[in-house]
Amino acid sequence: MDKLLRSLQTLGALVVFIGQVARSAVTPPIYWGETLRLMNVLAKRCIVPVSLAVAPVGAVISLQGIEIFKLFGAERMLSSFLGTAIFREYSPALASVMVAAQAGSSIAARIGTMKVRGQIDALAVMSVDPVRYVVVPGVIACVIVAPLLSVLTNILGIFSGWVFAVPLGGIDHGAFMEHLTAQITPADLWIGLGKCSVFGLGIGLIAGYLGLNVGKGAADVGKAANDTVVSTIVLILLVDYAVSMALLGAGL
Amino acid sequence: MGEKVIPADVPAVVLDGVSKSFGTNTVLDGVSLTIDRGSIAVMLGPSGTGKSVLLRCLVGLLKPDKGRVLVFGEDVAALDEKKARDRKKLFALRRRFGMLFQDGALFDDMTVFDNVAFPMRLHTDMSEAAIREKVSDRLARVGVAHAEQKFPAELSGGMRKRVAFARAIAIDPDIVLCDEPSSGLDPVMSATLDELILELHRTLGMTFIIISHDTAEARKVADTIGMLANGKLVTFGPAQQVFAENHPALEQFFTRATVGPIKVV
Ligand SMILES: Nc1ncnc2c1ncn2[C@@H]1O[C@H](COP(=O)(O)OP(=O)(O)OP(=O)(O)O)[C@@H](O)[C@H]1O
Ligand SMILES: [Mg+2]
Repeated sequence: MDKLLRSLQTLGALVVFIGQVARSAVTPPIYWGETLRLMNVLAKRCIVPVSLAVAPVGAVISLQGIEIFKLFGAERMLSSFLGTAIFREYSPALASVMVAAQAGSSIAARIGTMKVRGQIDALAVMSVDPVRYVVVPGVIACVIVAPLLSVLTNILGIFSGWVFAVPLGGIDHGAFMEHLTAQITPADLWIGLGKCSVFGLGIGLIAGYLGLNVGKGAADVGKAANDTVVSTIVLILLVDYAVSMALLGAGL
Repeated sequence: MGEKVIPADVPAVVLDGVSKSFGTNTVLDGVSLTIDRGSIAVMLGPSGTGKSVLLRCLVGLLKPDKGRVLVFGEDVAALDEKKARDRKKLFALRRRFGMLFQDGALFDDMTVFDNVAFPMRLHTDMSEAAIREKVSDRLARVGVAHAEQKFPAELSGGMRKRVAFARAIAIDPDIVLCDEPSSGLDPVMSATLDELILELHRTLGMTFIIISHDTAEARKVADTIGMLANGKLVTFGPAQQVFAENHPALEQFFTRATVGPIKVV
C-alpha cells in the first residue's frame, strides 16, 4: 500500500516534470549552444556501438532467411523481408537501445553529479533554470540523435544483410535490389524515424528526471544512470511491441 | 538590464523572524537583521550553526519555515519556485546576487575561463572580446591568471575558491554572498582577497555578506558584524559597536578559548 502510494507520487512528479520540460522547450531561452554540444558528444559516443550492434543483425537475418526462404524456393524475396525487418524493427530498436545505454546513462550521470556537487544550485543562483539548461538540451539532443543514428543503422543493416545474401549467399544482386526497393516504402522509413524520436524523447525525459532527483552521494549517481538505462530499455521494447501491433492492425 | 529602480532607503537585505528546521534539528531560530546597501557584513559563528543555511535562504535555495526574507524589499521566502510567475521574479532577484559557495560549486566540465565567463555570456550583451578582457582581469586579480585553461579538477582547493570568487563577482552584482572566502587560503592571498573586496565595495558600491571564521578578516573589512550561535543571532550591529560590546561568544571566538558560551557538542 505504502509502496503503491509512493509509485503514484513518483508518477505524479514525473508528469509535473514533463509539463515543466514541455513548457521550457517551447518558450525562450533555449540553450542551443549547449544542445549542439550535447548532440555532438552523444552522437560520437553512440556511433560505434550502434554500428557494431546492427551489422550482425543484418547478417543473421540473411543467413537464417536464406535457409527458410529456400524451403519455398523464394530466396530471391529475401531482401523484402530483410528491408522491412531492418527499417521498421531492428534499426529503430537498436539505435534507441544504444542511445539509452550510452546517451541516457551519461545524461543522467552528468545531471546527477552536478546536483550532488551543488552545481545545479549554482546554476539556479545564477538565474539559469536547471531544467532549461541541463534537461531540455539533453531531451532535444536525444530526439534528434536517435533518428539520425537509425538512418545509419538502416544503411549498415541492409549492407551487412546484402553481404551475406549476395556475395556470400549467392542471390542475384539485381533481384536483391529489386525486391528491396519494391518492398520498402517511405512509410517504413518514416515510421522507423518517428519511433526513434519518440524513444529519444522518453530517454531524455527519464534521464533528466532521474538525474535531477538523484540521492545524496556518488553511489546514487551510479544508481540514477543505471535506473535510466534499465527503465528506458524496458520501456522501448514494450512500446515498440505495442506500436508494431497497432501499426499492423491499422494496415500500415 | 532594465531592472526597476529601487528607492535608496530600501535595505539590501532584511531578515524578519526567520526560522528553519531540518526535521527535529532547529538550525535558525527567529533570526532578524538588516543589512544596508553598500555595506560589508561579516557573519561569524561556530561550525554547523546555520551560516550557510542562512545564505541559502537569502537566494531562495532553501525556504524558511517561518519569517520573511526581504531582498530589496521583495520577500524571497514567499516566492514558490514551482510557479512560473514566482520563478521569474525569483530569477530576476537572483541576478542581483553573486554567490561564492562554500565548496566553490564550479562547473567541472568547463575550464576556469568558461566558468567565470558563464554568467557574462548568459546575462550580459558583452562582446566575446570584452568578456575575455574582464575574465582575464578578474582572474589576475585573484591570482589564478595562469590557470585559465585548466579544469576545476586540476586546481588546488584554494585556487578553486578564488575562481569561484571571480565567478561570483563576474557581472558586478549588487550583493555578493561569500561563504568562507578565505578558508583554505594562505594569509597573503587571504589579505589580497580582502583588499579586492574593499576595492569592489569602494568603486562599484557592492554589498557584501561574508561568512568567515577569520577574525582578522572581520576586523579588516566589516562595517557590520553579526554572530550566529545555536540558531540565534547573539550579536549584530556596526562593527565598532560590536567590538566595543564584546559579547562573550564573540570574545570566545576572538580569543580562541575552549570554555565559554560556545559549546562543542
Ligand atoms: N539540506 C540539509 N538537510 C538537512 N540538514 C541540513 C541541510 N543543510 C544543512 N543542514 C544542517 O543545518 C545545520 C547548519 O548547517 P550549515 O551548513 O548552515 O552550517 P555552517 O554554519 O555553515 O557551518 P560551517 O561553518 O561548518 O560551514 C547543520 O546541522 C546541518 O546538518
Ligand atoms: Mg557553511
